[in-house]
Amino acid sequence: MSASTLVIAGRIINQLVRDRRTLILIAVVPLVIASLVGVSVPDKRILDYTAPAILAVLILFFGFLLTGISFLRERSQGTLERLMASPVSRLDIVGGYLLGFLLFAVVQTMVLFFYLILAFKVNYYGDLWQILVFQVLIGIGAVCMGTFFSVLAKNEFQMVQFIPMIIVPQMFLCGLLWPVNQMPEYLQWLANALPMTYGVEGIRALMLQGQNLLDIGKEIGVLAAYAVGLLILSAITLRRGTG
Amino acid sequence: MPASSFSGPAVEVDRLSFNYGRQRVLDGLSLEVPGGISFGLLGPNGAGKTTLIRLLVGLLRARAGTILTLGQKPSPRTAHLVGYMPQLPSLYAELSVIQNVDFFARIYRLTDKTKRKQRVEEVIKLVDLWEHRRKSAVNLSGGMKQRASLACAFVHNPPLLFLDEPTVGLDPELRVHFWEYFQGLTRGGSTLIISSHTMDDAAHCDRLAFMRDGRVIALGTPDELRQATGQAKATLEDAFLHFVRHEEKKIVS
Repeated sequence: MSASTLVIAGRIINQLVRDRRTLILIAVVPLVIASLVGVSVPDKRILDYTAPAILAVLILFFGFLLTGISFLRERSQGTLERLMASPVSRLDIVGGYLLGFLLFAVVQTMVLFFYLILAFKVNYYGDLWQILVFQVLIGIGAVCMGTFFSVLAKNEFQMVQFIPMIIVPQMFLCGLLWPVNQMPEYLQWLANALPMTYGVEGIRALMLQGQNLLDIGKEIGVLAAYAVGLLILSAITLRRGTG
Repeated sequence: MPASSFSGPAVEVDRLSFNYGRQRVLDGLSLEVPGGISFGLLGPNGAGKTTLIRLLVGLLRARAGTILTLGQKPSPRTAHLVGYMPQLPSLYAELSVIQNVDFFARIYRLTDKTKRKQRVEEVIKLVDLWEHRRKSAVNLSGGMKQRASLACAFVHNPPLLFLDEPTVGLDPELRVHFWEYFQGLTRGGSTLIISSHTMDDAAHCDRLAFMRDGRVIALGTPDELRQATGQAKATLEDAFLHFVRHEEKKIVS
């Protein structure tokens, strides 16, 4: 990790800390959504079963949204062009974004998790620290995905279209609404190619079955591969020539 | 003094062409800029000034032709020798003036904390924003944003500075201030490449390139260009129109 990556990450944290309203929204919006989940599922057993999947989906959704929009802002306000003309490398830029936004993605994740656990008494059987580590991994994947698609988007309208295109199909196919193995075979193929499916399966294994991180090596591997792949692709796509 | 031992031309461009899709923006453009001067790229909107500057700072890649800045091809390796002020103020809205300038100082590898602090304060004072240093960029006026953006561009004291329409939207008083900064920078040994479409800016430059339709139609000092019209009291506007007519005649013939 280079010094420039840390400088960029520090700047992102500074920016969000100075933007009080955004900072409050980052903490409050997950609470509102989690409250809605807790209140709208009156059956405790169903809530216990669905909460881990909802948690994974929300982490991915919020992480994607936060990073995607912010990176696009960097482009539209001209600061990305300025950075691209400086000595920092493309990997420094996307790495800095990953690191900076990861902090806020982790905050959102913790708010969501502990709120569901404490306010709605959602049960979990695995080790708390292992559940939290896996949630951070989902957060890393979300930030990488947000960065990649915002590099692809040339304006706000394109980015807004990416949200339903990237997030909604994953919500339907990840096993949140219906088990993946009961879907038509072609949809199972598609579901197994999407990162959210592994996020949901992994967190369910940890929270519902009390498994540990070593038991969900495949899910961790796929999510990590997605994160690294998207990070490299973001750096490649972010060409100096495009500004 | 800016940190460069290079003694050749600050910029050398040879037969440079560039297209956006099918639209030709630069058409076999050549020019040479000596070091330590302010060099104006003058021309109407669409002449190719911004594209040329973006090529010179390495944001775009040339389709044909060569570019050398301080004797080297523009690349991230040479970026620390170059300062760039884009047309938009390009600041982080939530950050204060001092945080914006400090961020770019760090990005341009001013690693010594004490020296960086001194330099950041020095440039903020130089652009007359010391009173407003703690204000968020979003709360600055247009002219203040331009000045903060300029401070970000030269905080690392580059020997070569590209300023894309730096005086656009400034009132006459601020414009005069800006030119005082620029002249101070060239006196310190920096080379400034400034794009503009106003002849008021042109008069302040040591040398000028008149641009039209992606080509340089005239090169020289403001006096040389005025004298080329053959009129005793010709303005730079007259000179520009003179060279435009001359170009049109060449095309017709």
